[in-house]
Amino acid sequence: MTDRIERELWLPATPDAVWEAVTSDGWLADHVRIDLRPGGDARFDSGDRSRGGWVEDVSIPERLTFWWAMGDEPASRVELSIEERGDGTRLRIVETRPLEVLDLVGVPLPGVGGATYGPALVAA
Amino acid sequence: MNVPRLSDPAGATNAPGAGDRAGAVFGALSDPTRRALLAAIAEHPAATATQLAAELPISRQAVLKHLNALTDAGLVDRTRAGREVRYQFTPAPLSDAVGWMAEVGAEWDDRLAVLRRQLGTTSPAGRGAPE
Repeated sequence: MTDRIERELWLPATPDAVWEAVTSDGWLADHVRIDLRPGGDARFDSGDRSRGGWVEDVSIPERLTFWWAMGDEPASRVELSIEERGDGTRLRIVETRPLEVLDLVGVPLPGVGGATYGPALVAA
Repeated sequence: MNVPRLSDPAGATNAPGAGDRAGAVFGALSDPTRRALLAAIAEHPAATATQLAAELPISRQAVLKHLNALTDAGLVDRTRAGREVRYQFTPAPLSDAVGWMAEVGAEWDDRLAVLRRQLGTTSPAGRGAPE
């Protein structure tokens, strides 16, 4: 079983503006630091709710897929898709938690780049 | 394939229970053979080691060794039926799924509300003023 959360939002803005908004400080976390390349490290700091993670895939301004986890919690995978739609942009968010073990079996672990294969393994 | 680095034992001392448990689970899953074995167990409930060995390109001895690691991590249960030991996948011991859906879903709803305020009411190219 994979836990899955899906959201969609249409915004009267350009894909570039949406990209900037969702990757800037204050949205995913108060302070966001993402090394925008596959395997790049990511930090999401919001007071005592800090997450570590890494980038699985990135294509500016259309897609950002990353993994994050807080402390000992299992990691989850977030996929942000940004697509021009009509006069605006559709933002789609899918967060899944394939680390419900059975699903992890089928998850290709990143071969290179990331310091760990999943943010759940980042030492607190 | 590089072997994933497991969590720093020093870091796990903060929350011994959860950290140790997660460490054992990830340790068990860090090996591709064990992941394949776990998949085979899930597909063939109540299989014996011999049956599992037939599914995988490794010996029964090796299967038994990996089964021990999976059992120690709480991912697999073994039950004895007469002379046979049968193995069963046990649902992930990692965490409860229920609270996660509600909590994480609410976080995204909050974030989307922020975006809507920020980008939703201004001109297409513009970004709204921060609150």
